[in-house]
Amino acid sequence: MENSELKKLIISSLDSDTDPAETCKRLQDKGVSFNFSNGFTDRVLDAIAASGLVVAMNKNEIEDSIRIIFYRIAIGGVAAILILFVSIMLSEESFSLNSLLGLSNSYDESIICLLTGK
Amino acid sequence: MIGDSYRDKTEDELVRASLDGDRLAFGEIVRRNQGMVARTVKGMLGNTVDAEDVGQDVFIKLYRSLQDFRGDSKLPAYIQKIAVNLTLNELKRRKRYLSVFARKDNAEIPRLEIAAYDDEEKRDASEIVSRALMNLNPKYRMVVTMRMLQGYSTKETAEMLDLPVGTVLSRLARAQSQLREILKKL
Repeated sequence: MENSELKKLIISSLDSDTDPAETCKRLQDKGVSFNFSNGFTDRVLDAIAASGLVVAMNKNEIEDSIRIIFYRIAIGGVAAILILFVSIMLSEESFSLNSLLGLSNSYDESIICLLTGK
Repeated sequence: MIGDSYRDKTEDELVRASLDGDRLAFGEIVRRNQGMVARTVKGMLGNTVDAEDVGQDVFIKLYRSLQDFRGDSKLPAYIQKIAVNLTLNELKRRKRYLSVFARKDNAEIPRLEIAAYDDEEKRDASEIVSRALMNLNPKYRMVVTMRMLQGYSTKETAEMLDLPVGTVLSRLARAQSQLREILKKL
């Protein structure tokens, strides 16, 4: 292809009355192309992997995951408290403050002895 | 190598798969759009190592911001916007670098030397375009790249570069007269 032809095309591509998409295509047909070197895609993927980016996970998905973990911990905690109350109820046969504190079977003297060491 | 199964997938499917952590789906997005990014980045920065790095940064930034992509615009336009912004940043960085290291008595940013070729046939079409662009004033280079290499209309160029349409038109006219002079020497 004549270089003068290409030069004319370059100049005419900037005319206001030309169709830019059409001249762009004609330039490409004349061999004008810009590309990255071979293996560009692999290099991008490697760079992403090397930088440890995990942001691909949607922000909403991260929020959802945190919420699920929170609910699971909360439900586990409530279940543990209920099991504790049931076991106290079964062992102490009452549900008073003393039984909750584990003091129902202790005499006052024992407590004073425990606290003072005498 | 990206499997053929990704080639039939739509943009939305690839975006969703990438958000689910599918690297190969993102690889397909890169593969489909790298030519467009290369035209913008290499058109503005030249065929340099910097341009390859900026191209890479475009897709890394895309990966980081993929969750913010709402699909209001088409993915290529979104990628193109990132490419333009990062390329402009690189041009600013180069300008700062040159303003520090260029000689005081030569305030203008030096342009690439136009090398004369003995054998016209040896000149590759892309190289002629690239050399012509690199000898253009950078602010004209941007509008020329968008129009000549990407095929954008004046309005699309104005939107992409956040410039008024009138500015784009006047820059194109000035770029055209500069290019005439540059191409005479190539």
